[in-house]
Amino acid sequence: MIRRVLVGVLAAALLAGCSSDPATPARPVGDPRPGVLRVLAGSELADLRPVLDEAAKATGVTVELSFTGTLDGAESVANGQAEAGFDALWFSSNRYLELLPDAAKRLGTPTRVMSSPVVLGLPTSKVEELGWSGRRVGWAEIAEAAGRKAFTYGMTDPSTSNSGFSALVGVASALAGSGSALDAAAIASVAPRLKDFFAAQTLSAGSSGWLSEAYQRRARGEDPGPEVDGLVNYESVLLSLNASGLLPEPLTLVYPNDGVVTADYPLTLLTSAGSDARGVHERLSEYLRSPDVQRRISEVTGRRPANPQVALGDRFAVRDLVELPFPGTGAAVDGLVTAYFDQLRRPSRTLYVLDTSGSMEGDRIDGLRQAVIGLTGADTSLSGRFSRFHGREQVTLLPFSSSPREPLRFSVTGDAELGQIRSAAEGLEATGGTAIYSSLRRGYDVLRAQAADDPDRFTSIVLMTDGENTSGDAFPAFAAFHSGLDPAMKGVPVFPVLFGESANDEMRQVAAMSGGKVFDARGRTLAEAFKEIRGYQ
Amino acid sequence: MIRIGDLLHEVAEVKRLSGIALAVVLLVGVVFAVVRGRSDEAGSPDLETVRGVIGSEKLAFFADRRVKDAFARHGLRVEVDPAGSRQIATSVDLDRYDFAFPSSAPAAEQLQRARGAARTYAPFSSPMVVATFDPIVELLTAQGVVRQGPGRYRVFDVARYLELTAVGTRWDQLPANTDYPARKNLLVTTTDPRDSNSAAMYLAITSFVANGGVVSSPDAEAKVLPVVGKLFLEQGYTQSSTDGPFEDYLSAGMGKTPLVLAYEAQFVDRVVRGDSTIRPGMTLLYPAPTVLSKHTLVPLKPAGDKVGELLTGDPELGELAATFGFRTADPRYFRQVVEEHAVAVPDTVVDVVEPPSYETLERMLEAIAKQY
Repeated sequence: MIRRVLVGVLAAALLAGCSSDPATPARPVGDPRPGVLRVLAGSELADLRPVLDEAAKATGVTVELSFTGTLDGAESVANGQAEAGFDALWFSSNRYLELLPDAAKRLGTPTRVMSSPVVLGLPTSKVEELGWSGRRVGWAEIAEAAGRKAFTYGMTDPSTSNSGFSALVGVASALAGSGSALDAAAIASVAPRLKDFFAAQTLSAGSSGWLSEAYQRRARGEDPGPEVDGLVNYESVLLSLNASGLLPEPLTLVYPNDGVVTADYPLTLLTSAGSDARGVHERLSEYLRSPDVQRRISEVTGRRPANPQVALGDRFAVRDLVELPFPGTGAAVDGLVTAYFDQLRRPSRTLYVLDTSGSMEGDRIDGLRQAVIGLTGADTSLSGRFSRFHGREQVTLLPFSSSPREPLRFSVTGDAELGQIRSAAEGLEATGGTAIYSSLRRGYDVLRAQAADDPDRFTSIVLMTDGENTSGDAFPAFAAFHSGLDPAMKGVPVFPVLFGESANDEMRQVAAMSGGKVFDARGRTLAEAFKEIRGYQ
Repeated sequence: MIRIGDLLHEVAEVKRLSGIALAVVLLVGVVFAVVRGRSDEAGSPDLETVRGVIGSEKLAFFADRRVKDAFARHGLRVEVDPAGSRQIATSVDLDRYDFAFPSSAPAAEQLQRARGAARTYAPFSSPMVVATFDPIVELLTAQGVVRQGPGRYRVFDVARYLELTAVGTRWDQLPANTDYPARKNLLVTTTDPRDSNSAAMYLAITSFVANGGVVSSPDAEAKVLPVVGKLFLEQGYTQSSTDGPFEDYLSAGMGKTPLVLAYEAQFVDRVVRGDSTIRPGMTLLYPAPTVLSKHTLVPLKPAGDKVGELLTGDPELGELAATFGFRTADPRYFRQVVEEHAVAVPDTVVDVVEPPSYETLERMLEAIAKQY
């Protein structure tokens, strides 16, 4: 009997295995299959697709990439989830993973495929104006110029994107100047000069890709926000921007002579991988590291080859780069990122215009409450810890229904205010109509009053609604209002969240006219969308 | 031949008899078995798969086609995962493996005791070296850190080096240094002392010098820790396997790793490969004193013994090990490789000291780990 049952189950399993492997949340790229390497990757690896397609033809190895953020990826490796759905990892660096003991022990053979340092790109005329052309400058001089706003730049959020993270580590290590790795005391001692450096950061983003697009739009005057001179990003991104011909003026890359932090993109097998995946990883690694493919990778991506047999192309102006030391503990890294948000960077002013109309009743209003509460410290995941409201942040909740309700203002200094925001979120109730645009207009009044006292902040608006506008101003009236705003208010990015039956076209127009970005919460929770938006605030 | 109808019937029967939970458990188990079975078909079905966890510096050896073929001729397919030698002794789940192959005798002895292995195998060894570049050699010669040794080779004077690190000397503070004015401390790049054998070997070397002899008492430990701890801590993040920094040395060059601690075998291996990764201007220094890393295999299951026996006794594998730069138990193999490829390494390395006992080394590593 048992045997017959087993045979049956076995056959069912075989049939399942022969059909297309169904993707599940734990296995977004399906079950293990011969000739397939399932890879959990950073989104930057997307530009390698043409090379991976060629690899499939040459080696028979198909690479299935599933993208995730650095911290979420690290967490899923550490808690073992990654092992359930993947054979290998491919992030810009394994350094953070290796600082987490539970993640480090699951890392198998790494193959370094390419590298790219994080540097500063500025328009050539700006570099001349600063007196930096034809000579190398160090981070101290860069920070000094930034402190007096001699230039401005955009950089990604260090907690969601590796380029911002590398820049933060680089500038902090260099300014600490002891030559050894950073610790808490060293961070405290260089905090004033780090503040100088970050004073010139006028654009933040959760991803390298969006940062680069927003930068181009502003450089061409297509975005209402203030122009941003330069970018702190991978050498490869800056070289690609120059090559695209879409910039009004090419960027000159500034390689700080006291050192950089470099991403080295190790394609890393997980120790849990099966025999077939191991063979496939080996075959693919050999192919990717072969001299011809290395040259091709460098050409396609603008990154430097990893194989020492391959000479650097001419476009890499500075060849021998000093690598700055990287912190030796997870605690030091966490301390640095926390200090960035709570003390070092320009503080944020964050306005949430929140739909609490009758249609939100039930699961939706509850999801909204949870989304706000998640940002008060309730989300204890690795990424959640950094996406909470930060020290010095001004948070305003502006709930609305048939008309805007009273704005709830908070200035975060510690747990007390986070608790107040939590209580306010718990008190949100769904009732009445939907006056989207009158409420959004009211939001600008709130921001204008706040800016009058304290103008130098990253200011942005999150607009969440689950339906069409039913009362107050219509969309055209809002568009007219927006075009008449003064430049500072006009450049405040609005981040609409697509949810329920929201008017997606109008939401996209609101994002476009303000230089913002639309976030989709229709296939996921509001909490996930709100968390993603944190990288842009 | 099984028809779908029967199949559904069978599955239904399982549910009825034993409940959904059992069906799920069975299904998961069988899928796992099927996946494994399918994977095994990828290679030759006749080979016995033996799995090992090894120090990363032996990865290239085990990945080599000739080595795989040599094992296959004896009916084995050897699959390996790299891990730091201390990780092998502490955090790695050893039940997944048939053998462990750390890179030092003390780590192997500890494993042997902990796992109750009947014996160990020591098929080859390699002295610790410092790999660097000519401009750095010039700078350090002026500082008295590099000098001509007793043989034809140059040595890295550890005592003089410790004088410089004691005061936190930065590269940009060295006089007349135009070649490498980096604003970072003059430090040999090592691996993580919490994970890796080569870092433990470096601790053995530096603690010997700081103490004026092998460290063998708690007093001596207390005396040397402030001196040697900073050699690791001030580097900040360090990689867990020796492969990493040596790859950096080869590809990122002087900017990233002006001085890197390595196994002699890593350098010799690259010269033998002739893949032009060792470029003019890259050079080896022998620390004075240095220690030998004795790669020692500890069988965890009977299949592991087969690998140990072959590595020690099989002439083909012995010759292959020498081509990967290891000093083989039978010195003829290594000598032959060195002559054939004109590798500039000494036939015998003098000024070799013994590492402290496993317990002493472990206590010092623990004390350093606590400071991270």
